[in-house]
Amino acid sequence: MRIKPNYWTLQVVGWGGAFLVTIALAYSMGQLDPVRLTRSLLGLSLGLTLSHVMRLTVRRARLLDEPFMRQLTGFLLITVLFACLHSMIEASVIHFTGLRSPLEMNVDFAVLNISLAFNAFVVFFLWNTCYFLYHYVSKYRKQEMDTLKLSTTVKELELKSIKSYINPHFIFNALNSIRALVDEDPSRARQAVTALGNILRSSLQTEQQETVTLQKELGIVKDYLALQHIRFEDRLQVDYDIDPTTLNLPVPVMMLQMLVENAVKHGVSRRVNGGLIRIASKRTGDRFELVVQNTGHLKRNLRHSGFGWNSTANRLELLFGDAASFRIRETPDHMVEAMVVIPALQTGMPLKTESVVLRRGAA
Amino acid sequence: MVKKSVLIIDDERLARQELKKLLLEFPEYVVVAEASNAAEGIRLINEFDPDLVFLDIQMPDKTGFEMLEEVERMPPVIFTTAYDEHALRAFEFNALDYLLKPIDTARFADAIHRFESTERKDADPPPNLYVHRGSLGEEDQVFVRDGDRCWFVRLADIRLFESAGNYAKVFFGVNKPLILKSLNSLEDRLDNRVFFRANRKHIVNLRMIERVEPYFNGGLLLEIRGGERIEVSRRQSVRFKEMMSL
Repeated sequence: MRIKPNYWTLQVVGWGGAFLVTIALAYSMGQLDPVRLTRSLLGLSLGLTLSHVMRLTVRRARLLDEPFMRQLTGFLLITVLFACLHSMIEASVIHFTGLRSPLEMNVDFAVLNISLAFNAFVVFFLWNTCYFLYHYVSKYRKQEMDTLKLSTTVKELELKSIKSYINPHFIFNALNSIRALVDEDPSRARQAVTALGNILRSSLQTEQQETVTLQKELGIVKDYLALQHIRFEDRLQVDYDIDPTTLNLPVPVMMLQMLVENAVKHGVSRRVNGGLIRIASKRTGDRFELVVQNTGHLKRNLRHSGFGWNSTANRLELLFGDAASFRIRETPDHMVEAMVVIPALQTGMPLKTESVVLRRGAA
Repeated sequence: MVKKSVLIIDDERLARQELKKLLLEFPEYVVVAEASNAAEGIRLINEFDPDLVFLDIQMPDKTGFEMLEEVERMPPVIFTTAYDEHALRAFEFNALDYLLKPIDTARFADAIHRFESTERKDADPPPNLYVHRGSLGEEDQVFVRDGDRCWFVRLADIRLFESAGNYAKVFFGVNKPLILKSLNSLEDRLDNRVFFRANRKHIVNLRMIERVEPYFNGGLLLEIRGGERIEVSRRQSVRFKEMMSL
């Protein structure tokens, strides 16, 4: 977090600095006499007091909340007003105490007043410029920060809703199958309960993490397919082709699971005779390929293909931007293939959104 | 004890198994057949004419609703589903009987009892002896669907069928949904003592006619309960008069 400059520190440093510079200049020219010193002190105290009153006026009038042109007019008006006030006080003090500098000795009161007003105008103009610029810039920065925060929140929410998607229809069907299995095959029923438990647990944990290793994700997928196998029996065939070097690579959590779920929905449950699900992974250099295939034909209109594919594409875009790609096609052996290509990252390397979150935390 | 025949339609063997196990508590119910998809379901309904059907909504080839639209003689149906917001809305909205998987034993018993009480009520009037098998009696039901809304409608409650291409518009109460049946196929299936083909486009329920007026060219104009006025073609007017004079 950046340290916010304190108003009084700036006031004291600014006016004190100007005072010291004046004194130092006068001293170096051998002109530091009691008159000049008193006049500088007078300038210091008047400047400090009047600029503070000016700030109070600006704040009271809520000038900073006005549109730009009104701010500008108000800014000039106030500067002129306070310059006049300043010169009137200063000229009167000088006049009645006889603190005129040698140059001002023979000058008429009105002229003195005008020349002092001009000096004060320049000083207050500078002061106000700093004041307004400071607020203008900080307001702009705050707006920018808010926009960034908002877009990050939106992204996080989107990811969360995509991740936490687990089909309730699947859960209740699995429970129903298990209920029937309890009498028919108690040991399989027990395995099924464990598998369902694993899936529910991991779907709860996805809230906390963005990526998991492929190995862990495959564990969920295998549990899921084991349960679906109980349900669909010989209508569901599964074939794995996993490159062992990819097992420790991070993958977006529940992404493979969602693609497999989609494949089961279209390739098995909607087909009277069921079908085959093929899951493959491959690594070539930095390129990490995940493939899910299912029996069937690609519908002509991809937009109607359901939640699975669209949300996968959106999620990849959110997580990796252009570094990832997602493709659907029909293979020559009449399988519908969904292929995800992501960078082969080391575990723990931040993804795009995570770095946004980090930057926000640091700001 | 009168046995009742049951047909179970569900694509999962274990789900069918579970229903059979629940039915063991009700020994008068005998599962005569099981179907694992909609096409098989339709075939078995026509073949066995079961007393009760358990029907899963999600099946590989069709939904249970789509399947019912193709069934000619509608048996009493209890729907089953695991979780389907769309179907649940349809059940609740149309007061259809349904069971959620995994099925609660008490809920299952309720559904059976409800089925028995409606069956007893329907059985009160003497059965239509003259209705030969194959044609539909007044007490038979059809399943009709219009978007989210669906109904099991007794034929006796239908006052008019109107042809709309391959579809027919069914008039009952305030509703006029479409069913995927041509007027000709309906005419073949309906009891011609109750349902009369008035012209190329309409079949009317004779019990719903309120007034008969002469019309041009020796035709007739029928006013039906509900306000629709249907013209009877000249040829059919002759038949109509013959039937009415009996």
